[in-house]
Amino acid sequence: MSTVQVEVQGLSKNFFDQSRGEVNAVQQVDFECRRGEILGLLGANGAGKTTTLRMISTVLQPTSGTARVLGHDVASEPVEVRRNLGFYSASTALYPRLTARETLTLFARVNKYPAERTKSRVEEMIERFGLGEYAGVRIEKLSSGMKQKVSIARTVVHDPPVLIFDEPTVGLDVLNALDLQKAIQELREDGKAILFSTHIMSEAERLCDRIAIIDKGRLRACADLEGLRAATSRHYLEDIFVHYVTSHETPDQD
Amino acid sequence: MDWTAIRLLYLSELRSALRERSVLINGILVPLLMYPLMMWVMFSGILFVTARFESFASRVEIAGLPAEHRGILDSLDEDGRTGINEVAAPPAGAASAYREEVEERLLAGELDAALIFEATGDPPGNAAVSLLSNGSSDRSRSARGRLERALSAERSAWLERIAARHGLDGAEWQVFDVRSNNLATGRQMGQFLMGMLIPLFFVIMIANGCLYPAIDSTAGERERNTWETTSTLATRRLNVVTAKYLYVATMGTVAGALNAAAMVVSFRSFLGPLFARLGGGDGGGLAFELPLGSLPVLFLTAVLLGALIGAAMMILAAFARTFKEGQSMVTPVILLVVFPVIVLNDPGMAFTPALAGIPVVNVVLLLRQAIAGNVLWLQLGITVLANGAAIVACLWIASRVLRIEEIATGAFEGNFFQFLRRQLRPAGGKA
Repeated sequence: MSTVQVEVQGLSKNFFDQSRGEVNAVQQVDFECRRGEILGLLGANGAGKTTTLRMISTVLQPTSGTARVLGHDVASEPVEVRRNLGFYSASTALYPRLTARETLTLFARVNKYPAERTKSRVEEMIERFGLGEYAGVRIEKLSSGMKQKVSIARTVVHDPPVLIFDEPTVGLDVLNALDLQKAIQELREDGKAILFSTHIMSEAERLCDRIAIIDKGRLRACADLEGLRAATSRHYLEDIFVHYVTSHETPDQD
Repeated sequence: MDWTAIRLLYLSELRSALRERSVLINGILVPLLMYPLMMWVMFSGILFVTARFESFASRVEIAGLPAEHRGILDSLDEDGRTGINEVAAPPAGAASAYREEVEERLLAGELDAALIFEATGDPPGNAAVSLLSNGSSDRSRSARGRLERALSAERSAWLERIAARHGLDGAEWQVFDVRSNNLATGRQMGQFLMGMLIPLFFVIMIANGCLYPAIDSTAGERERNTWETTSTLATRRLNVVTAKYLYVATMGTVAGALNAAAMVVSFRSFLGPLFARLGGGDGGGLAFELPLGSLPVLFLTAVLLGALIGAAMMILAAFARTFKEGQSMVTPVILLVVFPVIVLNDPGMAFTPALAGIPVVNVVLLLRQAIAGNVLWLQLGITVLANGAAIVACLWIASRVLRIEEIATGAFEGNFFQFLRRQLRPAGGKA
């Protein structure tokens, strides 16, 4: 069995909301993600996917529970966690006044990629993501498709073993979304452990090795597609999803 | 502290800033060009007004000029720009009507000024003189000036002639022969003037230099959605805050240093010649030069003020979720730091060790002393310590503020003061 890279146990997050008061955004979530695996977090908007991923990436502090990335605790070793992690989301924009090359160099260096190998790594990323022509252009002048490529490149430039993609295809056109999915599949083949959140069923079905269904901050199910089908006697992921969010049944976790 | 990460982030902030038009304009171009431009405009304006004033042809009327004082006409004729209409003194009963008629002509703009002599009899030549003019008209004020100068010259000549007849020389009839002597050198006078003006603009420019970077590196990042990107970097938040703070302080310091240099150059190039022109060609004796020894102190004050104002602004900007919010939160800092400069604009105020303990105030006084060529070492030491302590306190507060998750993520909602109350509540009540 592949190495467990991300381990989440009893993870919870409460916060104060002006209109709703105390909100339990995530409650007692458990899962793990292994090397070379894409674990999809599937849930409606506001289900708690982003909050969960933000806790794993150390942007937010858990209220209770633990999350470990390569054995490093997100609460007590946040720098080590971030060093081993690449985080991509719609709210992680790029610095508009830096060029693509400057951005990649900054992220490689600050994320502790060896200084002597940074230049060749940056050029490798530029080559891999087809940024050559635009590497010296400021981010603010790039098209949204090119920005997205630079974003993925900056997420992986320090070669982290764990990657988080939080609803990465939101706002992208079909071709750019397919490009992104292809890039994520390639990264899985490179042996990365990938957490991928989405509310698009076809995306989850196409990309994910296992799917964790989250609803109202709780993990309702976590298994591969066949396991979910067997547990619910439903074939289509949409039906499986509806089954869990309406019945709140929890099958055995793998 | 991870100084490699701090250096990388700091350089990245600076690189970004130097590509941003607003930062370049506020942090570099305005401090550098504002004073040369301002003084050039002032210089040109004064020259223009003076030249225009002097070029007016004056229409004056002189009534009842005593024969003994015909010299007045010669004085007025000298510049060739005074048209004189000399009339006889009105008859005793018509004096009031004549005066009213002259006043009407003055107000209607038909006449620029009038001199009406009323002989007092003894000794011959003595007279009461009415000088009528319209203060709301440039031409009339110009004519009045010419008449006053002519009257003054005639009075002196007249007194001198009488004194000579009585065998008195100038010193005797004037009773006091005042020989004023300003012991300050032109250089000292120039330094005194610079000490009055430079601190105020210096503080404003440093605050202005810090303003945009402080907002841009905090609220601006949230607005652009890059704050979360920065939060995922593999370095402690303290290192990120330190890099941003150093960037803000650098921009403030650079603005201050450029501004001081520009101001000194402007003083020498514009204000010196202006004083020379207004002072009748002898330069007013003013020299606008900074003692070389004051340059390190000037730079030190720029660093201290840049560091202190930058830290204070970052505390407030940390709360802002948008650039607009940041502007409204941080702008009061400018007023706060400018206030003591205005209050302290009394040249007689001594720079005591006690005053050296008050941040901002101490820097302004230190700056003024440095411009005057005095460095008070004890006060300088206290100033550095006091400001250093204030900077550390501000940074400590800023780092505490940014540890609050809702602020760091820009996620807090609703009223700012309600949010603060929630934070200050005991732990049990906090989300």
